[in-house]
Amino acid sequence: MASSSSSGLTFKLHPLVIVNISDHYTRVKSQMNHSSSATTTNDDNNNGAQPRVYGCVIGIQRGRTVEIFNSFELLYDPSTHSLDRAFLEKKQELYKKVFPHFYILGWYSTGSDAQESDMHIHKALMDINESPVYVLLNPSINPAQKDLPVTIFESERISVDHVAHLKPSDGGSAATQLAAHLTGIHSAIKMLNSRIRVLHHYLVAMQKGEIPCENSLLRQVSSLLRRLPAIESEKFQDDFLMEYNDTLLIAYLAMFTNCASTMNELVDKFNTAYDRHSRRGGRTAFI
Amino acid sequence: MQSIENLVTQIQGLSSNASDITALKDYLKAAEDLLRSESTRLLSFLDQLDPSKHSLGYLYFLEPCMYCSITKERANTLVPIIARFITSCSAEQIRYVPEKFINVCKRYKDQVLLLEAPIRGVGPMLTAIRKIQSSTEHLTTLHPEFLQLCLLAKCYKAGLSVLEDDIYEINLPRDFFLYCYYGGMIFIGQKRFRKALELLHNVVTAPMSSINAIAVEAYKKYILVSLIHHGQFSSTLPKYTSSAAQRNLKNFSQPYMELVNTYNTGKIAELETYVQTNREKFESDNNLGLVKQVVSSMYKRNIQRLTQTYLTLSLQDIANTVQLNSSKEAEMHVLQMIQDGEIFATINQKDGMVRFLEDPEQYKTCEMIEHIDSSIQRIMSLSKKLTAMDELISCDPLYLGKAGRERQRFDFDDFDSVPQKFNI
Repeated sequence: MASSSSSGLTFKLHPLVIVNISDHYTRVKSQMNHSSSATTTNDDNNNGAQPRVYGCVIGIQRGRTVEIFNSFELLYDPSTHSLDRAFLEKKQELYKKVFPHFYILGWYSTGSDAQESDMHIHKALMDINESPVYVLLNPSINPAQKDLPVTIFESERISVDHVAHLKPSDGGSAATQLAAHLTGIHSAIKMLNSRIRVLHHYLVAMQKGEIPCENSLLRQVSSLLRRLPAIESEKFQDDFLMEYNDTLLIAYLAMFTNCASTMNELVDKFNTAYDRHSRRGGRTAFI
Repeated sequence: MQSIENLVTQIQGLSSNASDITALKDYLKAAEDLLRSESTRLLSFLDQLDPSKHSLGYLYFLEPCMYCSITKERANTLVPIIARFITSCSAEQIRYVPEKFINVCKRYKDQVLLLEAPIRGVGPMLTAIRKIQSSTEHLTTLHPEFLQLCLLAKCYKAGLSVLEDDIYEINLPRDFFLYCYYGGMIFIGQKRFRKALELLHNVVTAPMSSINAIAVEAYKKYILVSLIHHGQFSSTLPKYTSSAAQRNLKNFSQPYMELVNTYNTGKIAELETYVQTNREKFESDNNLGLVKQVVSSMYKRNIQRLTQTYLTLSLQDIANTVQLNSSKEAEMHVLQMIQDGEIFATINQKDGMVRFLEDPEQYKTCEMIEHIDSSIQRIMSLSKKLTAMDELISCDPLYLGKAGRERQRFDFDDFDSVPQKFNI
C-alpha cells in the first residue's frame, strides 16, 4: 500500500483516515461557500478557494512500521500559527479511553505542498511524539492522476536540539535509497556514539569520586562490554582485516580517480590560460 | 644627521613590543644610507646589541657588512657572528625585512664556501629556513641554498628533513627549479630513486616560458634515473609540460637518448662499449657515476625479466642468461635484490636453485590499515587544495578570455556581444 520510503520506515495508512480528512475538508469548504454567499465580505481566515484544515493522526508504531488508524480534527489559530493545545489534549484523553494502544503519531493538513509555517506546528507536536509524521492531502481534483494525492513527511532527529528536517517518503530511486540507507546507518551510529559518551562520562565521574558508586549499574556496564567482541578467532581476524583493507583500498581508488579528474581539468585550464603556444583545436568539441 | 651611536641607543630602546618595532623599522629604513656608508665600522658596534632581543637592528647593522669584498680572514670573523645571529634571532622581528635576512644568509653561504667548510653552514641555514618560512608548505629562497650546502658537505640526511615537506607556496620560480634539482641530486645520493625521479620530473614539467639550463641538466639526470629505477624511459612528456620544454629538451640531450636505445637492446656488452666511447660527454656533465649505475642496473633488469618467465632457475643459468661471469656473482646479485625488496625469491644453496615467489603481502595486518588510512588522509587534503585551485583558476580573467575565444570559433549561431576577431 505504501510506496517506497527513503528512510527505512514503512507506513500503513488506513482508508478511514483519508476519508476523515477529505470529509473535514469538504465540510469546511461547503460551510465557507455557504457563508460567503450569505455574507459577501471576504474573511481573512479563508485562503481563497482552498481552505486548509488541520488535525491529528493517531495509530501504532511497531519497530519500523508505522500504522495510522484514525484521525481527529483540530482547531487552528491563524494568529499564533498553532493548534489549540487544550482541545488537543482533551481529545487525546478521550481517544485514549477508547483505544488505549493508539498514540498521536503526527498531524495532517490539506494543500499541495509542505510550507514553512507548518514547521511551527511540527515543532509544537514534537514534545508529544519525538518524531511526528505529517500527512498531506491534496484536495484539488486531477482526473489524470491515478494515485491518491496523499504524501507523508517525516522528520529526522539529526541532533539533540530538535532540528526537524522534512523529507518526502515516497518516490525513491536507487540513489535516494542508497542515501537513505547510509543516512539511517549514520544516525544510528551517531546515536550509539552519544549514548556511549554519556556512559563514559558517567564512569569517569564515578572514578573521580564525584558520584557515589552504584554497583548494580557497574555490573550492567560490565556485562554490556563483555558482549563484544562476538568472535575472537584468528581466522576471523584475518578475514575481517582483509575485507576491511579491501574496502579501504576501494575508497582510496575512488578518491584517486576523483583527484586525477580534478587535476586533469586544472591542467587543461592552466594550459588554455597560460601556455602561449598551446595546440589549437586540440580536444574542443564539435557541435 | 643621525650617528651610529644614536641608532644603537634607538635599537636598544625600541625593541620590546610590536608598535615600537614598527617605529624602529621606519627609523632604520631612513638611516639605511648612513649604515651603508659606514659599513666598515659597523662590526664594532654589534657587541652592544643582543641578537635575540634586538634582531631587527642587528640585521640592519649586519647587512651592509656583507657588501664589501670578502677575504678569508674577514670571512673567518664574520661566519661565527652570523651563525650566532641566525640561531638566536627572533623570528617575528626578522620577518619585517625578509629580503635583508635572505641576503645575509646567501652571503653567509658564500663565505662558508670560501672557507671550504660547507658543513659549518648546514645547521645555521636549516634554522634560518625554519625561521623565515611562514609555514612548512612555503618554499623560500633559502631552500636551494641549503640543499646546495648539504650536497657540497655530503650531509644528505640534513637535507631530507626539508625535502619531506610538501610544498604549496613558492616565491620565485627559480627557487623551485633549483630546489627540485638539488633535491633530486640528494635523493640520488641516498639511492632513493623513486623520490629523485619525482623531483626531477617536477623540474622538467614545470611551467617555463623559455627553456632554462636547470631544466636541461635535470632532464639528463631524469633520463638516467628513469633507466635505473624503471628500466625504461618514455620520451613523451605529459601534457602539463610547457611547450617550450616539449620542443627543446630532447635536442640538448642527444647522447642520453642514444644511451636509452642501447639500453633497450638488453645487451650489456653493447651498453658498456657505448659508455666507453662517450665517456667525456658524460664526464663533462658530471653524470659519469650515474651512468655507471645505469650499467649495473642492467643486470637487475635482466634478472627481473627472468622472474616473469621462470618459476625456478639454477644460479648457473641465471649467470649465463644475464651475462655474468660466474654463479657466485649471480647469487650475490639475487641476494642483493631480495634484500632491497626488488624481487621475491628463495635461494636453495644445496642445489643452487632459485625459486621465484609471489608478493607475500596479504593485506590483512593492522599496519596496512594505518598505512592506507594515512594515504587516504593525505589524498583528502590534496583533493581539497586541488578543488580550491581549480575554482581559483576558473575565475582567472586570463583563462576566461581565452576560453571564451575558443568557443566563438565553432558557435556561428551564437550572437554574443563579446567582440571577436575573425582569423581566416
